[in-house]
Amino acid sequence: MTLAGRRRRALVDAVVQVAALGGFVGAWELIVRLLGVPRSIVPAPSVIGAELLQIRGLIASWGAYTMTTALEGYALAVAGGVVLAIVLESSPALERGLFPFFVASQAVPIIAFSAVVILWLGNGPLSKVAIAFYLSFFPITVSAVKGLQSCDPAAVALLRTFGAGRAQVLWKLRMPVMLPFLFVAMRIATTTALIGAIVGEWFGDNRGIGTFILQALYAEDTVRLWCGIVSCAAMGIVFYGAVTLIERQFLWWPAPALD
Amino acid sequence: MADKLTLRHIAKTFEVEGGRVPVLQPVFLDVAEGEFVTIVGPSGCGKSTLFNIVAGLLPPDPGGSLLVDGRPVATTLGRIAYMPQRDLLFPWRTVLDNAVIGLEIQGMPRREARRRALDVIGQFGLAEFGEYYPFALSGGMKQRVALLRTFLFESDIMLLDEPFGALDALTRSILQEWLAGVCSTYRRTILFITHDVEEAIFLGDRVVIMTARPGEVKLEVPVGLERPRGPALVTSEPFVALKKQILDAIRDESLRSFATQARAETPE
Repeated sequence: MTLAGRRRRALVDAVVQVAALGGFVGAWELIVRLLGVPRSIVPAPSVIGAELLQIRGLIASWGAYTMTTALEGYALAVAGGVVLAIVLESSPALERGLFPFFVASQAVPIIAFSAVVILWLGNGPLSKVAIAFYLSFFPITVSAVKGLQSCDPAAVALLRTFGAGRAQVLWKLRMPVMLPFLFVAMRIATTTALIGAIVGEWFGDNRGIGTFILQALYAEDTVRLWCGIVSCAAMGIVFYGAVTLIERQFLWWPAPALD
Repeated sequence: MADKLTLRHIAKTFEVEGGRVPVLQPVFLDVAEGEFVTIVGPSGCGKSTLFNIVAGLLPPDPGGSLLVDGRPVATTLGRIAYMPQRDLLFPWRTVLDNAVIGLEIQGMPRREARRRALDVIGQFGLAEFGEYYPFALSGGMKQRVALLRTFLFESDIMLLDEPFGALDALTRSILQEWLAGVCSTYRRTILFITHDVEEAIFLGDRVVIMTARPGEVKLEVPVGLERPRGPALVTSEPFVALKKQILDAIRDESLRSFATQARAETPE
């Protein structure tokens, strides 16, 4: 496709997307007003928007707090997941021995675990980072191991005939082959990391979007509850979009379709 | 001329569930420096196994040895330029960066490696494609990039495993002529597997015919045809006579191979 053609398509896409979003919000507003839906069930978008504008300072600072803990847990999960994947890939015996425990640890419902994490690490950000890490670490590691293992044995053989050792095969072949797998998991993990940070706050904190939602719930303030939901959605979309942008920078070759 | 590469008693038996499958009977072969030896044989005759052993990817059965320049070597890994059947280009590397990967692994700085590649890229018909990614290339071009990668690797012995096997007939004959030209410029010692008898005669100084599995050398036919060789050669009388001699030898083997395979399908 020509550059002009691509620009035109991007423009058309953007127009359609904005129209869809506008249509959705407009329909919501209209239905709530026409049917007289009580505010305690679903408030109109205009009401939520007005409230958000009013408390924007609070939302911004508490949102930043939640986003930071989610990001830190996420970054640790990506780094730790890739390192562990390299270790597991290099030793099949270790992989076979450790993987079952690894899977079992993930079968433990996070809710049961979170309470203990709060007891151990306190009410501050550290416990949220730990929970966000725990939730995103598993899918990232599993995908990274799968990616490292999925390179063509004939390509490995070719590099070996050139005299390549394990490290060179890892760096020049396994890592690039792993990237598309890793990015799929990294996109999914943005959501789980955010969930970890928010749920962690429910078990004990005095800041953050999770705390904000909990306070609104106790106060039975539906409008604020919806402000919390909208903020969470926005954070999730921005996080996911940012990772997708990074992915485009790192994956410039046509990769096998994975998702 | 001195022998560049010597295969002494190279045999291979694979252990599989329920028994042992002999794939290669002892193979003895001397390849002179600068010689182009083509190997033909029925499919499943162990040609690729032989190549994997020579490339250092598989150990031969005990008792076999490989000699380079008359001296036994423990491993040939890192010493022989090997080109497998598929191009195996890395999609994240440009043509140029794919071509220099062997040099990179040998420890040459990428800058110098790229300079070397640029010196010869024109002879591979890729001068304008150095910065292209493999997905934008045709099958014939990808194969030339793989050949360039094999040529650039610093080794005077090359193993080419059916490099043109997957190409259409026209592209193949063009690349054969081109390879014959490149090889006479850079005098390298080459072992070349093919199942195309015309290709074997057209390119080779000597054609080695292998038996059906378990493979061994059945017949060696020197090709005394003048170089440079052009497309008219394949219809000339001496060429046709050679072709008949080799085809007859292979036909016996193919029939034997077919009969064996019909009796028991065993993996290679």
